[in-house]
Amino acid sequence: MIIEGRAISPGRAEGEVLLIEDDFSFLGGVDPASGELRTGPGGNVSGRVLVFPRGKGSTVGSYTIFDLSSRDLGPAAIINSAAETIVTTGAVISGIPLVDRVDLSVLRSGDRALVDGNDGSVELLGVELREVVTGMVQHRDKVLIMRRSHEVSYFQGMWGGVSGRIEEGESPTQAALREMEEETGLDAELLKKGEPFLVRGGDTVWRVHPLLFSAEGEPRINWEHSEHRWIRPRELPENSVPRLDEVLRRLGL
Amino acid sequence: MELTAAEQRMLDGEEGEGVRKAIELVVALGKIYGAEGLVPIRSAHISGVSYKTIGDGGISYLEHVSEESKVRVPSTLNPSGMDSQRWREMGISEDFARKQLHIIELYERMGVDTTCSCTPYLGGNLPRLGEHVAWAESSALSMVNSMVGARTNREGGPGALAAAIAGRTADYGLHREENRAPTVIIEAETDGSLFQHSLLGQAVGSAIGNGIPYFRGIRPRWEEAKIMAAAMAASGAVAMFHVEGVTPEAADHDLSGLETVHMSEGELLQAQERLTTTEDADLIAFGCPHLSEREIKEMAAFLEGKEKRSDVTVWFCTSRQVRESMPREVEVLERFGPVLADTCMVVTPVEGLFANSASDSAKACNYLPTLCSQKVRCDSFERLMEVVL
Repeated sequence: MIIEGRAISPGRAEGEVLLIEDDFSFLGGVDPASGELRTGPGGNVSGRVLVFPRGKGSTVGSYTIFDLSSRDLGPAAIINSAAETIVTTGAVISGIPLVDRVDLSVLRSGDRALVDGNDGSVELLGVELREVVTGMVQHRDKVLIMRRSHEVSYFQGMWGGVSGRIEEGESPTQAALREMEEETGLDAELLKKGEPFLVRGGDTVWRVHPLLFSAEGEPRINWEHSEHRWIRPRELPENSVPRLDEVLRRLGL
Repeated sequence: MELTAAEQRMLDGEEGEGVRKAIELVVALGKIYGAEGLVPIRSAHISGVSYKTIGDGGISYLEHVSEESKVRVPSTLNPSGMDSQRWREMGISEDFARKQLHIIELYERMGVDTTCSCTPYLGGNLPRLGEHVAWAESSALSMVNSMVGARTNREGGPGALAAAIAGRTADYGLHREENRAPTVIIEAETDGSLFQHSLLGQAVGSAIGNGIPYFRGIRPRWEEAKIMAAAMAASGAVAMFHVEGVTPEAADHDLSGLETVHMSEGELLQAQERLTTTEDADLIAFGCPHLSEREIKEMAAFLEGKEKRSDVTVWFCTSRQVRESMPREVEVLERFGPVLADTCMVVTPVEGLFANSASDSAKACNYLPTLCSQKVRCDSFERLMEVVL
């Protein structure tokens, strides 16, 4: 799959992802003699696609990056959620591609990534993107959740909304209305569309399009679900599908 | 980002690799801050000079850049790790000195004026009202934004060097009129002394972070303004301030709706107490920022006819120009301690020489513990000199 970010430092490079969860300082964070990380997950930054939210610490960090890469110990590329001056300076003066405004939650250490600092994209090799919808049905102050049966492919036994893949040529709304008919039989009316977001699971990334509908009456669930409930949005069960809370948040619930 | 045809040609490498890399950095930094274009600059002031702060990585970077680049606007240099002439006397090692002189030579090769000072505006690098410049050194850039009305952001060392080579910097932040308005009013009560301006800067920087204060109740000369600007940039990230009736842009802005913060003796004393971690001092250092001619004159007048009665080291830090321009006053100060040029107590390796340092500069007292592992006493010139008189 290809993730669109923002091009900061030009160039193109491929490598294995090394993910650091916290903001990172090159000065002190990496041994300049070897490229070994002194913080976070450990490992060596050399030739890797180094991923961390944001740079921090001393401005000398820019020179540490230059020093590493002038001895071929530097990272092949850098991905940030928000680039700042120190790492940007280090990346540019060292000729290391840097892309920011990337949702780091879809990246895993060990992934292979091709970072394009010219157009601002990151290609995750061997990871497939699937466009899916999650439709929530609202009635008064409650929303409909349904428990996924043991016959579906993903997230068996967990609570979720109306969901499914967006087929070729379909809009998210069309896909959601089709799934709504199949899974609930309800005659639903679209109220709101939320901003889509990404969820990683194994070698798949789902782009989830949240949609909110209103409907009257009780659902007729099909084989995909085993039971249903009407709940207040703040009362999501523990065993909900990943990021269902985010779907609700993006729908303003 | 929108580039002019000339800028695009630079980015395409038509003016050589050095220029291409420089403008690439300027553009990349501009992107982070949402700049829509670049702006030509009239001067640059470059930090990243002391071997202590940039290390071997910095040297290899400067070696690389100096092979292919020259600055295209007048550019000056921040203090280095030692007095280029009197480093032996300072206790600097041969190895440090060799590397430090090499760094300065690399900047010289690029066409940079190597008077190493944090007060270039008192020497030959004084911008004019409304001019765009690219300055690093937080106290100096705050001074030219505020006292002169020139326009610069807080540039980093490599960013300022790249801007000097490209002759341009990214057009965002303080380069734009709409971002130069005050964000808070400070009603200050001080005794008007230099030291209380230092503490006022400390208290305001801690209180407002990166805001733009509008001061009432003070009338700083350049000397008081620079020690206050330095403190505000160290305890906070203040890059510009206005002073009613003093700074050129103070009257340009609407103050309605701004919060007012009162700063009086209590806040200043608290700032002093927070900075002070020892009552001892093996080193007493003045000149952060570098002492002006007027300060040296006033210090010499105070010390004239007095005698030093203690072996505590005293340093007076200034620029080479100032030191050379007033030999008579320098001679008076020299009886108490060396008048050092090109350097200061923060960027020289003080940690190998002293354990307890004292200064009237709140900026120095912020950095001495972290950059130089010192315990610190923050007090006025007169009170600190009592230690040795």
